[in-house]
Amino acid sequence: MTATAPPAPAHGAPSRGRVLPPPVTGQEVVLVALIAVLWLVLGLATPAFLSAGSIVPLLVATAPVALIGIGMTVVIVTGGIDVSVGSTVMVSAVVVATTMVATGVPLPAAVALSVAVGGLLGLVNGVLIAYGRVHAIIITFGTLNLFRFIGLRVFDSSTVEGIPATLAVFGRGEAGRTLGVPHSFAITLVLAAAAWWYLRHTAGGRHFYAVGGDAHAARLAGVAVRRRVLSAYVLTGVLAGLAACFVLAQGTSSLAANVGSGTELAVIAAVVIGGTSITGGRGSVLGTVLGALLVQTVATGVTQLGWPSQLSALFVGVSIVVAVGTDLIRQRTRRSS
Amino acid sequence: MTATAARPADAGTDRPESLPAKALRVLLTQRTALLVVLLVAVLVTMTTLSRRNYLTAPYDTGYLAATLINAVPLVMLGLAELLVITSGRGGIDLSVGSIVSLTGMVFGFAYGLWGWPLPAALLLAVVFGGLCGAVNGALVAYLGFPALITTLATYYAFSSLALVVNRQQPINSEPVQQLYSAAAAVDLPLLPEAFPRVPLGVFTFLLPTALLVWVVLARTTWGRRLYAVGTNDVAARWAGIDVRRTRFSAYVAAGAISGLVAVVTVAQFASARPDAGTTGNGMALPAITIAVLGGVAITGGIGRVGGVVLAALLVVWLNAGILLAVPGNAGAQFQLLSLGVVLVVAALLNGVATRRYGGTS
Repeated sequence: MTATAPPAPAHGAPSRGRVLPPPVTGQEVVLVALIAVLWLVLGLATPAFLSAGSIVPLLVATAPVALIGIGMTVVIVTGGIDVSVGSTVMVSAVVVATTMVATGVPLPAAVALSVAVGGLLGLVNGVLIAYGRVHAIIITFGTLNLFRFIGLRVFDSSTVEGIPATLAVFGRGEAGRTLGVPHSFAITLVLAAAAWWYLRHTAGGRHFYAVGGDAHAARLAGVAVRRRVLSAYVLTGVLAGLAACFVLAQGTSSLAANVGSGTELAVIAAVVIGGTSITGGRGSVLGTVLGALLVQTVATGVTQLGWPSQLSALFVGVSIVVAVGTDLIRQRTRRSS
Repeated sequence: MTATAARPADAGTDRPESLPAKALRVLLTQRTALLVVLLVAVLVTMTTLSRRNYLTAPYDTGYLAATLINAVPLVMLGLAELLVITSGRGGIDLSVGSIVSLTGMVFGFAYGLWGWPLPAALLLAVVFGGLCGAVNGALVAYLGFPALITTLATYYAFSSLALVVNRQQPINSEPVQQLYSAAAAVDLPLLPEAFPRVPLGVFTFLLPTALLVWVVLARTTWGRRLYAVGTNDVAARWAGIDVRRTRFSAYVAAGAISGLVAVVTVAQFASARPDAGTTGNGMALPAITIAVLGGVAITGGIGRVGGVVLAALLVVWLNAGILLAVPGNAGAQFQLLSLGVVLVVAALLNGVATRRYGGTS
């Protein structure tokens, strides 16, 4: 496990061979091929699929899951997990929605508020996990309930009605596109590219892998383990807050209390399909974006083929098993060779 | 983990431990002691509030007994998680809720539509649940998949199948609706009049399951093997234990228990609902919460039936009190708060106990 998660890049030691994993892993190549095949097959089966009217909503729907997936990848790389992101999205969405209805805040303020709320909730997770020394899944199961409580209190037992179209720049309508590219997906791609570069090419980024590979060894090597863990959860919270804006923009002018429920599982599925090891120390943001795209392609494809939409969850489950299975087989062959 | 850490409790032979220090140590290291204290605190607080008329309805033994119906699925699924988490290597089962949904539909078909007799349909539910668990177990134990991922995948797959199998329609034919009366509260023979009416499901499902799991874990070699595998699977393998088979059987048992819960849920709702175990937060998250609260170590190898049962009782009776103290929708919301706070505090206490006394039991 640790073999693929070296510490900071060793400058001036080229003779020791490859230090970094390859820029694009086998899993990602397989995913690109799979998505291409799926799009081709769906395009042949239903000609409407490969049109802008179908691809743009697909990309817009992918954006929130892929965006939170960036943070979740970092969290899982450090050996943790965050099952509370669905509740974080809910709290951010309802706080922003009620504020917009009450005061009509402009776009930058709405986004800043949403990101701040998400970051604050992420900070709660991070402090409890990094300094309480408790397994991340237990803490985030607890905060999942706490955040839901906060969100439901803000909702006050009803829906939020009459939300203004402040966030339409992130939506799937005309205002949400430049040259046909939806803004939300473009922002996700830019942030994913930045995260990919940071995780791969800076010492700080490699520290996350070191923590996930062996936290004790990382600490002895001078990595500020707690601060790394804390920042991973804050990052996830911030991105969940931004994703809440995307979710609001995709919705109608009313917001119900079930917003964000199930997001955590969709995000974890995307991360895992993208080839990130759940035990930590290995993974890439690129794969996560591709995983989210694959999941959304399957969901869109199932509905466009006229199958019952509930079937898409079955295919997501099968995709997870296949993705993890091929990864396990690759690891075993690599070890034996 | 911290085997080398000094244990003040053991080293105290020359200097006797003071009573408060001893009480603190017992509370922090014995999960059942902590749960009993919390349970008594909840009962005393709520009864006092009830006496002074702060609650919308009396919080008495009759009410407490009636709310036990909520404990039936909670305890049973908590025990399912106990088996799986104890089996170690990151063992966890996110799919129990969707197994409940899917098995409930299968039970609904067999009993409600095909006219199977109740015992046969019950057996089918247990076997089918066990089969669903076997899918998890085969992937985790024999193919080496991480449990979290495997059960996430099967959560999606089973819940999707449950929705598709009857086109999202519930099954509530005549025989299924009559099951409801079987789940109602009963007067027990042999007990005095004053004894509160306890829901029948407690005696037909909860107690037998809890007893069986306790016997299996505490009194059979399979139980010892499961603890050994969960504590250190390499050592267990060198001790001649079939690690894969033991771990596999833990997942099968969890599936079978979920199958039983499916029958309970169908009877409780008088209808086989395709989303019975997956609506809202689903059944898996509360079950895992109960198991962890009951002292089951997420790292495996530690966990007791008594702790899980006490944890479920604490949550059920606390929730019942909250419903009376905070009327309306807000009551359900404060239940989320209490569940979250109790879980986080219990987890943090576990951390303190590990650092101070070298572990919990």
